[in-house]
Amino acid sequence: MPTIIKKIGKRIRSLPNAFLAILAIFIVMLFSDTQFYSSYNLLDILNSNSIYLILAMGQTIVLVSGGVDLAIGGTMTVAGIITILLINSGVPIPLAIAVALVFGAFVGAINGYISVYQKTEPFIVTLGMGVILTGVAQQLTDARPISCSNPLFLRLANYRLFGQIPAMIIVMVVVVIAMHWILTSTSFGRNCYAIGGDYEVAQYSGIPVRRLKALTYVISGVTAALGGVMLSSWVNTGNSIFGSITALYVVSALVVGGTSTAGGVGSAIKSVLGILLLGLLSNAFNMLNIDSFIPYLQQALQGLIIVGILWLDSYSRKRKRENV
Amino acid sequence: MQKKSLMHSAINSVKGNLIIVGIVILIIVTSIIEPKFLTLGNFENIIRQFGVLIFVALGMTFVIMGGFIDLSVSGIISLVVVVMVSLVDPIGQVNAIIVGILIGLACGLLNSFLIISCGALTQAEALFLTYGMGLVYAALALMYTEGMTIFLSYAETPITIFNAIGTGSLGSIPIAFIIFFVCLVILFIIQRWTYIGRSIVLIGENIVASRLSGIPITKSVVFIYAVSGVMTAIGAVNLISRVMLASPVIGGAIGGGYETQAILAVVVGGTAMSGGRGSVLWTVIGALVLTLMNNSLNLMGVSSYIQMMLRGAILILAILLDRQKQISEGK
Repeated sequence: MPTIIKKIGKRIRSLPNAFLAILAIFIVMLFSDTQFYSSYNLLDILNSNSIYLILAMGQTIVLVSGGVDLAIGGTMTVAGIITILLINSGVPIPLAIAVALVFGAFVGAINGYISVYQKTEPFIVTLGMGVILTGVAQQLTDARPISCSNPLFLRLANYRLFGQIPAMIIVMVVVVIAMHWILTSTSFGRNCYAIGGDYEVAQYSGIPVRRLKALTYVISGVTAALGGVMLSSWVNTGNSIFGSITALYVVSALVVGGTSTAGGVGSAIKSVLGILLLGLLSNAFNMLNIDSFIPYLQQALQGLIIVGILWLDSYSRKRKRENV
Repeated sequence: MQKKSLMHSAINSVKGNLIIVGIVILIIVTSIIEPKFLTLGNFENIIRQFGVLIFVALGMTFVIMGGFIDLSVSGIISLVVVVMVSLVDPIGQVNAIIVGILIGLACGLLNSFLIISCGALTQAEALFLTYGMGLVYAALALMYTEGMTIFLSYAETPITIFNAIGTGSLGSIPIAFIIFFVCLVILFIIQRWTYIGRSIVLIGENIVASRLSGIPITKSVVFIYAVSGVMTAIGAVNLISRVMLASPVIGGAIGGGYETQAILAVVVGGTAMSGGRGSVLWTVIGALVLTLMNNSLNLMGVSSYIQMMLRGAILILAILLDRQKQISEGK
């Protein structure tokens, strides 16, 4: 009998930390007298985190290959604004969305070129790109929110399949499945792990490291642009302040999920867990109305949790280094 | 042959300082087009604008020279500002300033403690950790005032020190400038002639080799972040002396406020982003040309949005040029 318990214990401990944390939230919320368990709320958590999840999929492949893309917030914002401006000037909706996605790919290509081909530190280059894009967004909208005049665009993200499932969740699930498939079942995906694990070894084994690594930035740019299109359709607004902390939030969430900023480690599923954990946490805080005890406590707790998990991530790597 | 190599080195030095050369050309053009640029009033204006940024940037120089980065400075500024202003009435202006600077120091020490305790010795790890801490400091500032803005001008006790820093001058030199100069001299001496200063440069150059040769890494990292925290707090004192109010979001968004500008000033000055090469004096030049650039673009009526794009582009360009320099040095 005790061996079975031990086995189960071992099994539980081998699960990702983020998954256990999510379970813990669900258990704690059982005892609270809130609407947390209503299907409306659970669906809403998924729906409102869809944008982050779409962005996170592109970021995952970049992190796995050993890079980081902090320009996704800016790309998201500008792509949404471009879509709305084009639709307002009479361009058909599919074409406007296509232009926004091409724009995302273009930004990603620049990031990839500068950080991979010129061998610069990706986080500071993409941070600079984010500053440029914020400037572009402000220039395009004069720093004011703009809205779309075509009601069809609004229906894109707010459409509900069978009157239940929001279209945004469907788009998100498709992107997640696609990224999971790329990372686990294609040679491109496997090569990304090799590049992130050891760049030089991958290079010597004949993997076209630079081309593939740059390509991950293009993918990240496209998912960021897709997220931007969905966001502006969801709220029917393009606003230059949307993306200000998105990139760092998404990267922190991915690390929370178990993807490492050092590269070579991560998966689409882990990223989903990371984003959902932070999303659930903020939802639970809202439900428990934690801000009514001390205003802004929620923001502080979120920061502390992000720091705590990043700290653990680095600490486990330090332990590994010392054991070797 | 020799002539040719002289030409070469001249071209190389222009290439190496492309950004500064570009900004100097902009400044010359502005002073021809816009006569207001060269007036004494505008010059004093520039020195005062220079104020907040330069203190943060001086601290950031040490951080970047050591191969690290500090994204928490916006949060530290917000926190220091609100606590300091709220304490002016209860404990007097001198004590309030001391407490403010101690808070900056404490934030810096906390950052370094987190970084050392988990062995986060790469720039990327430090970036994310300090970003998270920045969120915490910003949230603490919001919690402290419950989101309200406190006005220094409503203080009932004297605020002579803040007034002096904000508008006063000794002879014709603004007091803020004197404080800056004292800080610069102290930091320069530390960087140039002390053991800890040289340790920081060596750690930035190669952290593994430094550890093996017995350079005190822990002590240096603590020192780096303590300096950054204190300099940020001094910058915050300057900031409230000028604006006379303390808003809990005064530091700007984490990752988009003062830290980006400070990093920009450091990198444009020529300090290597990868650590190991740099000087507080270069940062002064970097901050000065950036402030002059902002000023001349403002006078020419260029929109702040385009200025923002320009700042991002210059940051990327500076890093690319720095990389070229490293390649030509054979790194």
